[in-house]
Amino acid sequence: MKNIKHIFTALLILLVYFLIASYIKPDNLVFIILVFLIAGFFIFNLMIRKSLSFEKYFTSKYNLLTSKFNRKKSFEISKGLMYEKVIEVINNSDFRIVDTDKEKFKLLAVSSVSFKSWGENLYIDFKSDGEVTIMNFCSTTLFQVYAWGKNERNYENLLNEIENSLII
Amino acid sequence: MSIVVNLDIMLAKRKIKLKDLSVKVGVSTVNLSILKQGKAKAIRFSTLDAICSALDCQPGDILEYSGNGD
Repeated sequence: MKNIKHIFTALLILLVYFLIASYIKPDNLVFIILVFLIAGFFIFNLMIRKSLSFEKYFTSKYNLLTSKFNRKKSFEISKGLMYEKVIEVINNSDFRIVDTDKEKFKLLAVSSVSFKSWGENLYIDFKSDGEVTIMNFCSTTLFQVYAWGKNERNYENLLNEIENSLII
Repeated sequence: MSIVVNLDIMLAKRKIKLKDLSVKVGVSTVNLSILKQGKAKAIRFSTLDAICSALDCQPGDILEYSGNGD
């Protein structure tokens, strides 16, 4: 799947290069359509990013225009308590909780869009295995094929914050 | 772990709810619940001091060494 993504990215870059070289004039129809398509896709993602309903769209392996990062972490704390704990930690972090589903024990946190970053969606779901709670983290970019390790860094930081918050 | 947290016993003795203790010591109920269940990684002296002050007890009333080592 990663190979397909690399080929797709290379083709996309070549296409954009070709289009820019061929139709550099800003009044060209193809150029305008391309710009509108890219802008439209970005705005569409921005609009739907804050809902857990679109989790599958962002985390799907077929969505080649977002970068995904999955990790699992377990804690010997009950699911309900861990859920509340993670909410507390995220509220004190760079992420912001935008949607929660307390019945399914799922939550969505986002990082804000800035000049440095297109933003990131972090989906966390909690599952019980006896007394252990297994948390599935899935971090996706909003509009970025490669995250350049930023998702991993943010995940590590958040995990450190969770671990440190267990010192009471 | 060999350290047992007897916070629930002290709360029952003092007839104080976890929520009220949370307000008194300035620690969230989630954190006190984690501490009560013995799932905390560590406890700060400042937290222990605040709990002992609020419950009018000694650290030994809250923490106990069981010696099981599991």
